[in-house]
Amino acid sequence: MSAEYKTDLKWKNWSRRQVLGVAVSAMALTTGISAFSPAMAQDKPFDGSKLTYWGGLIFADEANKLLVDTINQWGADNGVETEVVMINQNETIQKVSAAVESNTLPDALDLSVDLLLLMSRQGIFINIDDLYKSVGDAHGGWYDAIDLATDTTDVAGGRTGLPFGASGNLLLRRTDLLEPAGFSSAPTTWDELVEQAEAVNAMPVSGLGLALSNVGDANVQLSVLQSYGGRMADDTGTKVTIKSEETRAYLTWLKNAWDKGLFPPGNATWDGAGDNQAYLSGQAAFIANTGSVGIAAKSQDPELYDDTAYSALPAGPMGTVSPMTPQVRAIPATSTNQEAAKALLEYLSQPEFLDAYYALAIYGPVLKDSANAEAFNGEDPIHAGLLNLVENGTAPGYPDVYNAAYADASSNFIVPKMAQRVVIDGWDFDRAMDEAQSQAQAIYDKY
Amino acid sequence: MSEVQETQPQRPGMTWLNAHRRIQIFAYILVTPVVLLILGLVAYPFLFAIYVAFTDRVIGSVGNWIGFANFQYLFQTATFSSAIWNTITIVVVTDVFKLLIGLGLALLVNQNIPGRGLLRSLLILPWAMPAFVAFLTWRVLYQPIGGGLNLILTQTGIYPHVIDWLGQRQTAMPSVILASIWRGFPFWFISILAALQSIPKDLYEAARVDGANAWERFWMVTFPGIKQVVIITTLLSSIWTANAFEHVWLLTQGGPSDATMVFPVLAYFGMQTQRIGEAAAVSVAMLPVLAILVIVATSLMQKDED
Repeated sequence: MSAEYKTDLKWKNWSRRQVLGVAVSAMALTTGISAFSPAMAQDKPFDGSKLTYWGGLIFADEANKLLVDTINQWGADNGVETEVVMINQNETIQKVSAAVESNTLPDALDLSVDLLLLMSRQGIFINIDDLYKSVGDAHGGWYDAIDLATDTTDVAGGRTGLPFGASGNLLLRRTDLLEPAGFSSAPTTWDELVEQAEAVNAMPVSGLGLALSNVGDANVQLSVLQSYGGRMADDTGTKVTIKSEETRAYLTWLKNAWDKGLFPPGNATWDGAGDNQAYLSGQAAFIANTGSVGIAAKSQDPELYDDTAYSALPAGPMGTVSPMTPQVRAIPATSTNQEAAKALLEYLSQPEFLDAYYALAIYGPVLKDSANAEAFNGEDPIHAGLLNLVENGTAPGYPDVYNAAYADASSNFIVPKMAQRVVIDGWDFDRAMDEAQSQAQAIYDKY
Repeated sequence: MSEVQETQPQRPGMTWLNAHRRIQIFAYILVTPVVLLILGLVAYPFLFAIYVAFTDRVIGSVGNWIGFANFQYLFQTATFSSAIWNTITIVVVTDVFKLLIGLGLALLVNQNIPGRGLLRSLLILPWAMPAFVAFLTWRVLYQPIGGGLNLILTQTGIYPHVIDWLGQRQTAMPSVILASIWRGFPFWFISILAALQSIPKDLYEAARVDGANAWERFWMVTFPGIKQVVIITTLLSSIWTANAFEHVWLLTQGGPSDATMVFPVLAYFGMQTQRIGEAAAVSVAMLPVLAILVIVATSLMQKDED
């Protein structure tokens, strides 16, 4: 019996109604599938693609894990094969620089606004104006300071970074040492800080755990200089003005504190973890830190955590300079999966993730809605300080013009090096200021 | 057979492509991949780095040719001058001490002493240890509070005060040099020991018969026997030390101030600020010094061979 005959037989046994029913069902099914297919494609528009993400490794393991897990979960939900690499923030510049030169940047990454500003000039990141606006509109808007500090329009023709957190320095102090010495409140001026530090300065505890080496932490000295009225450059942001009477006043303060032996030994060669280690090992009564030390103390040394109080940086004659530094996410122009990267960045800006992340991380909020997150309810002094920093801290570079030249000069540690010339090499103030002035001007002249 | 060969007309080009030339061409074909590899992996980066040193290249841009501007800028800075002198100091002082220690220990364990094998193994350990571990260990030893060196000095009463070994200009460079010597002497030791073992014993016996004392035997027999090795070791050690990054970076990061700043660390700082033109200029500025070292050592070796 042939197949054709079998078919004929079957058709012969079907009624017209059955045939019509099958035809209608088939049409409906076909229509349904064709209508459903685009929906599926829309649900998972990046299905089957790959995405590499470089996250900024911070001093809180749980926060790092949450970021990795969230990105991987987003990938699984969207059919995207994700690879998350956590980069030590002290090495971001080197890794990103090498990746730019070798054309191996990931699809998206975390970085500081300083690096974003420097690299956006070279067209390394794509414009994400639309994403910036939509995320801001959806979550109560961006904090004004964040909005201002992350604007790359002048150098890149649009915004290239999506803020996700803000960091800055708080003053950490040992209440168990200071209160018995008669100091129950935080120092409000740099002179008061020296006074309090001197009162508790006795080996093995040094009063002022401030870095003076060639590391980012030592740029607190730039804030001190600015609070004394000193400036890196004039209001045009082009002519360096380090050499001034205000800078001399700052150097006088520094030399005075140094000569009193308030700085811990080795602070002129500390690496990025130097002040953390000095405080955690009980060798410093005061440090200026992002709060990561507090988080570490909470788990490693609860007693020290309980004995630590947090406050804003002290003021100089010109007031307080406490710069807030936004952290941003960006999408390299070399990414082959830019739309997926945008979708991921939008996903990472949802309160469900951000609120949980803030509770574990050491960042202040960037979106106004995030102020309602549990982390910022005031119970935790570190997060309260970070929220205060975002709301009341100074913009990056303030009172200087925050431009690429300023970021470059800061990365060259111009002010910490000037401080080293005075306290380590014994140079007089004029000579140290002259060198800093000429080196900074050489940098500014490049822009 | 020979008649057949004589009657066959020679094809054009056969005279040129004789057996000798065919072997030559085959040899060239064999070495071509290696030459291309060397050109790609060594010559190209080397020449490209020199080119970059003459540009204002920053990360993410190709940069423009700016002639000697990077070098002019570098020579104006006090840090660059410090890097020159610090690099020379570290190379010369560590080489001298590594030679003395390496030679002394090699002469010692070349004798028939008990536990010689174990001693040889132990002496190589510092060199076998990863540099990262070695210099971080030294950093811990140098810690002002709780560091091993200060504990020894204070507990034994030799010096009652804490010394900030890495944080003071006066002690930072000697501290870096000491750690570098400790890490580097085993290379000298093992090289000189190998040379010592290749000196025929007959020469020593002949020298003894001639009435040579210990110093004369060393100067007339031992030294000529190890001279070549010492020259090569000096050359290699100088180049390695001048290019070394980790010993300074892990101990002092070039500080305090620029007390221990050396070329590789200065170049690294240039990279950190993304101005790779300047960073390359720092590296290129080292070339003449290293080239002189190579030329001097090579000529000494050549002279010795002649």
